[in-house]
Formats: sequence, structure tokens, C-alpha cells
Amino acid sequence: MSRGSRSFVRWFILAAALCLLVSPLTGAGPALAAEKIIKIGTIFPLTGPVATAGQRCQAAVQTAVEIINNKHPEIKVPLANKEGLLDGYKIVLVHADSQGKPDVGKAEAERLLNQEKVWALIGAYNSSVSKPASFVAERMKRIFMCGSSSSAALTQRDMKYFFRLAPTDATESVDFVEVLKWLNKTKKAGIKTLGVIYENSEFGKHAAEEAKKAAAAGGFKVVADVPFSPGATNLNSEVQTLKGSNPDAVFGAVLGADYSLWVKTMKQAKWLPKIVINYCSGYQDPVIAKQLGPDAEYFMGSSGYSPQFASLMPAVAPVEKIFKSKTGGVPFDGNSIQEAVAMLVLAQAIEKARSLDPDKVAKTLMENTWDSPLSLGGKVKFVKGGQNVQAKSIITQLQNGQYKRIYPEKMADAKIVFPMKPWDKR
Amino acid sequence: MMNTKVIDLKDALWLLLLAVLALLPLVPFVSGSFFGMHVLILVLLFASMAQAWNIIGGYCGQVSFGHSVFFGIGAYGAGMAVVTYGGLPWGGILAGMVLAAVVAVIISYPCFKLTGHYFAIATFAIVEIFNRAFLVWEWVGGALGLDYPVIEEGLANLMWYETKEGYYYCALGLFVIVFGIVRWLESHRFGYYMRAVREGQETAESLGVNSTAVKLGAMAISAALAALCGSFFVQYNLRVDPPMVMSLDMSMKFVLVTILGGSGTLAGPLLGAAVLIPLQEYTRAFWGGLGGGVDLMIFGVLIIVIVIKEPAGIIGILAGIGKSLARRGGTAQGGA
Amino acid sequence: METFAQVVLDGLLSGMVYALVAAGLCLIWGVMDVINFAHGEYLMIAMYVSYWLGFLANIDPVVSVIAAGVFIFIIGALTYLLIIRYTVGKPPLAALLATFGLAMFLKNLCLNRFSPNFLILSDTWLGGKTFQLGGLIFPAPQLAAAALALIVVGLVYLLINSTRFGWAVQATAMDREAAELMGIDTERIYILIFGIGGACVGIAGGIMPSYLAVHPEVGSLFGLIAFVCVAMGGFGSIPGAFLAGLLVGVAEALAGFYIAPVFKYIAVFGLYLAVVFLRPKGIFGW
Repeated sequence: MSRGSRSFVRWFILAAALCLLVSPLTGAGPALAAEKIIKIGTIFPLTGPVATAGQRCQAAVQTAVEIINNKHPEIKVPLANKEGLLDGYKIVLVHADSQGKPDVGKAEAERLLNQEKVWALIGAYNSSVSKPASFVAERMKRIFMCGSSSSAALTQRDMKYFFRLAPTDATESVDFVEVLKWLNKTKKAGIKTLGVIYENSEFGKHAAEEAKKAAAAGGFKVVADVPFSPGATNLNSEVQTLKGSNPDAVFGAVLGADYSLWVKTMKQAKWLPKIVINYCSGYQDPVIAKQLGPDAEYFMGSSGYSPQFASLMPAVAPVEKIFKSKTGGVPFDGNSIQEAVAMLVLAQAIEKARSLDPDKVAKTLMENTWDSPLSLGGKVKFVKGGQNVQAKSIITQLQNGQYKRIYPEKMADAKIVFPMKPWDKR
Repeated sequence: MMNTKVIDLKDALWLLLLAVLALLPLVPFVSGSFFGMHVLILVLLFASMAQAWNIIGGYCGQVSFGHSVFFGIGAYGAGMAVVTYGGLPWGGILAGMVLAAVVAVIISYPCFKLTGHYFAIATFAIVEIFNRAFLVWEWVGGALGLDYPVIEEGLANLMWYETKEGYYYCALGLFVIVFGIVRWLESHRFGYYMRAVREGQETAESLGVNSTAVKLGAMAISAALAALCGSFFVQYNLRVDPPMVMSLDMSMKFVLVTILGGSGTLAGPLLGAAVLIPLQEYTRAFWGGLGGGVDLMIFGVLIIVIVIKEPAGIIGILAGIGKSLARRGGTAQGGA
Repeated sequence: METFAQVVLDGLLSGMVYALVAAGLCLIWGVMDVINFAHGEYLMIAMYVSYWLGFLANIDPVVSVIAAGVFIFIIGALTYLLIIRYTVGKPPLAALLATFGLAMFLKNLCLNRFSPNFLILSDTWLGGKTFQLGGLIFPAPQLAAAALALIVVGLVYLLINSTRFGWAVQATAMDREAAELMGIDTERIYILIFGIGGACVGIAGGIMPSYLAVHPEVGSLFGLIAFVCVAMGGFGSIPGAFLAGLLVGVAEALAGFYIAPVFKYIAVFGLYLAVVFLRPKGIFGW
């Protein structure tokens, strides 16, 4: 290294350091001129282990904003037919990355609200990040729209400015147990025992606790309780533990890469329970389902959306077209679509309140029932604590690579394959 | 060191810096920027963390990657005092510090028999064990973590919601405590023992220094101070779970900030934090939202560049600049 | 009993993979006394190489291992030329921190270029195939990886212990300056050692897409376990790293099944501590 470039590096590093030290002192920058814009902040895990989900959620919010800001007469969604809100206001998104870490998410929430002066927040996918981030918003009396975090604890905090669209893991667990009872009744399935496999994180742990509660209430015996470290190098002992106690049914809260590893490891161990039902997880990811191919067949899970629901939700198709252009062809899944709904419902509330006063909009959000063609059931209604009580999900089963609707029966478009076909008969 | 003056120039500069830091929030320009305050708080916090690590890693020469364990114990001390027992954090902070020191001594005693990379990897292993054990330990909240309830803000509860000034002065207090202790250690007998152990354990032993006792003592002080930093971290974030505090990532930050600033020096940790933390926060603010991990890529490259260009750390850069200025001031000398 | 045997077998098979990943790290560490923190990221990149060859050109991972090995050989050599070279003679932490920065860079570069999606190759030759022997189930992909591990570790061992090049490497590891005086081009040795160390992990990564999804975070835990194997085996001892890999695999499987799955990695790291507290330089250390 020559002398010259060496001292250049020194000066460069020092100059960079100085710039960065000085910049916190330069404040928020000039307030935006009286343009008619509403700034909304998004916080999602754009890097780190759950970045896949985070980036899709961010794309979903962008899709919703595109519909709100521009004229899309072909889309049958409220606000699509005109440009902007409140006589010409446009929404501008400011994105932030939580890295899936609660402390980073909280710092970004503060930065977005204080520095970027966003009017409301949408986020944060991880329940563990949504908690502190929404807490910041609540203290500053700003609205926090939460699309897909499923921890039931979020809406048990009695917050005024917090609204969550997705069904909680508590209601999902009850649904799952209902399915088991329904099978025992109609198919003489004889399901008595249950195994739970979940990643040992806030999400998995919470889902498992609710599952065990629901199972006890439904009279099922939990014979295997298998938490595992996410990002595992193998799931051999987890699957052996399941195989050893051989439960009739298994509930899974297994995300992303772990899900495909779990399915493949079960295949290698030549073991399957009679039925597997998954929380929002790797099962829902259309990319994983496609890549697993025939191995993913006959697994079940709950979903607020999948492409095969098109006949129930005709409005989604043109919206999904925009979404796909942002994700390289990946369709909506049950999580990401909830984030789009969160954005749309917030915009509808602003329009209805005819005001940008957070108190008024929060009150309007709470008092009305919202049309939401992107939601299963078509309605959104919040109750105290901010939970959407119209949140519905359908239990689906993968058959021939498609998410077929199984339960509730009145929404079904296929018959359940029960028990799951064993590996050697496929 | 043999100064007869009441106070020497270096200490005077430190006091001046403290005075500036203490007055900083009074400037509306600074306090008006919420995020700016956040960055300043993090700088003070990470400088303190790095300084705590510096005691054992810099002055005593034992490179530990296990400090996030002590940091985490401190965080859980305060967190459990408030969340589990519904009390004030102070007792928990104290308990966390004592516990961290005890744990540090217990786990360090066998580890100090290891040398070089064996020691470093043993400390990695300890972090992973604590992380996973806390994740399944129901009494401390397990994987769900601890979430603070909404209680009254102020110094008694050590939490503030609307403003950052309270946190800032607490962080400054933390900074003064940790840097003060290290400054005192530097000129105290124990400080010389530590440096003697770093320079050569056998030589130190031959001079009558009990190197094991010195290392254990340094580790205990270092761990207690790391725990104190941890309790501030949890009070600041109002939530704690094992991956937040007890992770290799967190451990690496202790090491990175100190080494990049200049280990074994009093100013190094502050310099390291003053460069790395704003860099981390501002690159994330500017590029994080793009979603491509660009901020982390830049951060990674910068670490490489600093490490391979300036192993002595930023303090080495400053010294180099000082020298080159002095050279330019004097008569031109042949290129060195 | 059958379950016990199956659990131990699964442990041995995954242990072989750990051993293969660790062998490369062990070589680099033994010769240069450098902990390469980006080792897990090498594995991840090798998996991407194998995945893209399979996805775009329909080449099976069994064949792609060669390409992945060559590619990571180059990456390893480049790492030495661009980064490690400048840390020689500086504090031992310098190389570790620099490779930590490199790991961060590589992980996020892959996230940026290939998206964080979990990529799985479907319809590979080995994927999902199993052999049955008595009551025991042998999964084909892991079996292939284990066979590769045996071959590669054996070859590396021979290379170091019974070739002229190997003797030069050993001489360099013992005393660089003396080796240079003997006419050994130590710089070339370092480049090649980094390359060969990379190639080992590249081969491991090449076969893995047969059974593991590829994503930017996939290498981290493997890298960490590789550190543990290498240190447990003893400074630069390839048989040591191999034995340690097997021990780690079996300990993980037994603890995961007989205690609880969450104790898997606690057992692995606990085993390391137990070993080094008894033998501070590892099993085969001196």
C-alpha cells in the first residue's frame, strides 16, 4: 500500500466519521412544504432470518398505496376509482428495516414518527417487534396498523391507536381443534392425541400455548411438545421425538426454511401423522409449496388468502397483478395481503373521517364496519384493543399443488384427503 | 504519569468533554432532533459497554466474546424487577451486577486455563448456551421475553416515554461511572497488574503478581459494568428477550467497538462508538428501507477496511494525523 | 433399541457433514492461525452455486459439488489476497474481525442479489430417497454427503501428510520465516491453503441443496459448529476435527431425542466446554 493511498484512507474514514457525527445535530431538515401528502411509515424485517416475509409485506403496502394514489377503475376496491384521498392528498411511504429485532424496530418507529414526521405506522410482522414499536406510537397518539402479527397478547393491551387485521393464534387454535372434532364426527377419524412442533421464538411459543389450551378444552391429549431452535441445521431429533410418541394429529408453527426441512425429514423418517395443520408459516408460502412439490401434498393450514380463493374474492386478481410486478411473480399469501388491507382500511377511515386528526381517525376506525374486498368475508370490524373480529381464515389442504378449501364446509371447494397418504403410497 | 500537577492536561480535556456532553441537550438544535438524541444515547451506551469490555479485553489482554451474557444478566435483573415483581428497577440492577460478577468468576475460572482461540471459542460457546437456556427457562419469560407495563415515567422507574433527555443524562451518568472507574484503574496498582498480565503472564508471575486473581478480578469488574449497561439497555427498550441481549451479535459489538476505537486505551471505546454507532444508525436510516441490506453491506466493508488499514484503531488514525501535521509543521523530512 | 440406533445413525450422518465443513476451517486455522468467520458464508455461497446450476442448467447437486468446490476455492484465495494478507503480523483479532465484516457483507450481498427467498431444488437424484437396512433408515442425500466427507477429509489428510506440498505446508505452519529460507514460497502456500480450505466447505455446500433449503442465513449456525469442531479436535488436526464432528453430531442427536430438542445445541457447546476443560488444547492438541 503506498503512502499516499494510506493517508487518503485515513482522511476518508475521518471525514466520514465527522460527517456522521455532525449529521445528528442538523435536525429533521426543513419541514415539507404544504404539499398535500400523508406520510405513512412501514417497519418490516427486510433483512435477517424472516426477510422473505418482510419484503413481501412491504410490497403489499406499496401495492395498496398505488391503488389509493392512482385511478384504477378496473379494481373493485374502495378508493381505487379516484386519485388520492381527501380531495387530492396522496400517500407517501417511508420504509424502515427492523432486521427482526425489537430494539431496532422501536428505534425505527421513533425515527419515523419524530424525524420523518410520518402520520401513522404499518408493521411489523414479528410480534416481538410490533409490541415495542406500537407502544411508541401509542404514547405519541399515532395510529399503528398491524397486518399480520398473530400474537394474541398484542390486542390484550387495551391500546387506543393499535389495530390488528389478522386472526390471532388463539382463534386459529380453536379453529384447528374444531377441524379435528369435525373429522372425528363425520369420518370416525378417531383422533385422540396431538403433537405440537414449533420454533422456540415469541411467535412459535405463543402459538403452541394457545394450541395446548384449545386442545385441552376440546378433550385432546397433547403427547408431544416439541420446540426447536429456528434456523436449525437438521430436525432429526425433533422428528424422531414426534415419531416416537406417534400423535394422531400435529399442529405446526414452523417458518420458512425450517418448514421444508421438517417435511423432508419426516419423509426420510417414513413417518406421518393422520393430519398436520399449520399456523401461518412455511406452509402458506406459495414458493415453498411449489418447490417442495409432491412432498408438500395433503398438509393443511389456515390461510386468510391464497390464489385458489379467487372465486370467493374476485376483487383480488387485478390487485395481485400489481403485487406480482413488485415481487417477481410471487402471489399474495395470507400474511402479505393483510398488510395491504391494513393500508386500505386506514385510508378508508381517513376519507370517512374527513380529517387528519389521529384521534378522529382512530375513533372512526373503531366505530365503523369497513368494506374490504381483499379480506375473506369482505368486512373488517375492530373491537376494543384493536382486534379485527371479522378476521376469518379457511383451513386449506394442498392437493395437486393447489390450496383447496376444506373447512368451514360451506366455503369448501374440495373434499379432505384423510388420513394423509403415507409417503410410500404417493 | 509522574505529574505533580493537581490535574493533567488529558484529564482536563476529559472534563471539558463531559461538560460539553452535559450541556448538549440544552441546545434546542440538538434536543429538537429525537433521532439525534437516540444516536447520542446509543453512542454513550456503547462507549460504556466497550469500556467495560476494555478492562478485561484491552488492559488485561483476555479476548472474551462472552460479554453479552453479563449484559443479558443485567438486562434481566432490571427487567424481572419491574415486570415479574412489579417493583422499581434499582434492586434488580444491583442484583444483576452482583450476579453477573459471580457468574463471570465461576465461568472464567476454568476458561482462563485456555489460551488464544480456545478461550475465544469457549466464550462463544457460553453465549450460545446461555442464549438457548434462557429461551426455554420459563421463570425468566422464556422465548416470549419480558414486556414492560405502562407505568409512571421518571427517574424512580427509570423510564421516559415522551422525551429523551432523561435517558440521555442516565446514559451520561453511566458513561461517567464506567470511564471514571477505568480512569482510576489506569493509574491504580491494579491497572498496572492488569497490563503486566497482558504483556506476559510468566513475567508478571515472576514479579509476584497473582495473574489468575488479577484476571478474575478484572473479569468481575468488567462483567458487573457490562451488566449495568445491560440494565440501561432494557430500561431504554422496555422489552427484553434472549436474542436481543444474549447473542453473538451483541458480543461482537463489545469487541468491535473497542478494537476499532483502539483497545487498551481510555479514549478508544468512545472513539469507536462515536464512529460505529452513528454509522450503523444512519446507514440504516438512509438505506435500510430499500430492503436490500445495503446498509449492512457498507457496514461490513467498512469494518474490513478499518481493520486491515488501521489495526491500532481510530486512535491510531488520529495519532497518525497528529504526526503528519507535526511533520508538515516542521522541516520536510524524507518519506518514511 | 431400534430408535436408539436410528438416532445415533442420524447423528453420525450429520456429524460427517459438520466434519467436512470443519475440515476446511481446520486447515486454515492450523496453517495460518486465523479464525475465518466467513466460513459459514462460504458454505452458503456454495449452496447458491449448486442451486443455480441445478435451477438454470438442470445440473444435479451431485455433479455441481465440483463447480461449487472450484468456485469457493477461488473465493477463498481471493479472501486471502484481498483481506487476510493485510492482517498477517497484526493482532490476532484483526483477521477475525475482518472476516466478520466479510461475513456480514457476503450475507447481505446474497440477500440483495438473490432475495431472501428460501430456495429448494426439487427432483434431485438423491432428494427424498432412502435405503433401508434392517430397521434402520439411511437417507440418500445425507449418505452421499457423508461419503463425500470421508473422501475429501481423507484426501486432504493425505495431501498434508504425504506430499511434497504437504510438507511445505507443515514447514510453513511451524515457522514461516524458516520455511522461506528453505526456498518455500509461503505466500503461494497461504493462497492455496485458503483456496483448499474453501474448496472443502464448497464441496459440502455443493451437495447440501439436495436436502436443505438455500437462503442467506443458512450458513451461520454451520459456521459456528465448525469452530467448535475444530477447537475440540485440536489446533489444526484434521483427524481431530473429523472425530469432533462425529462427536458433535451424535451428542446433538442424543440430547435432542433423549432430553429435549431445544437442548440440542446446548449439548454441542457444553460438550466443547467439557472437552477443553479436560484437555485445554483439544482432543488431539499438543
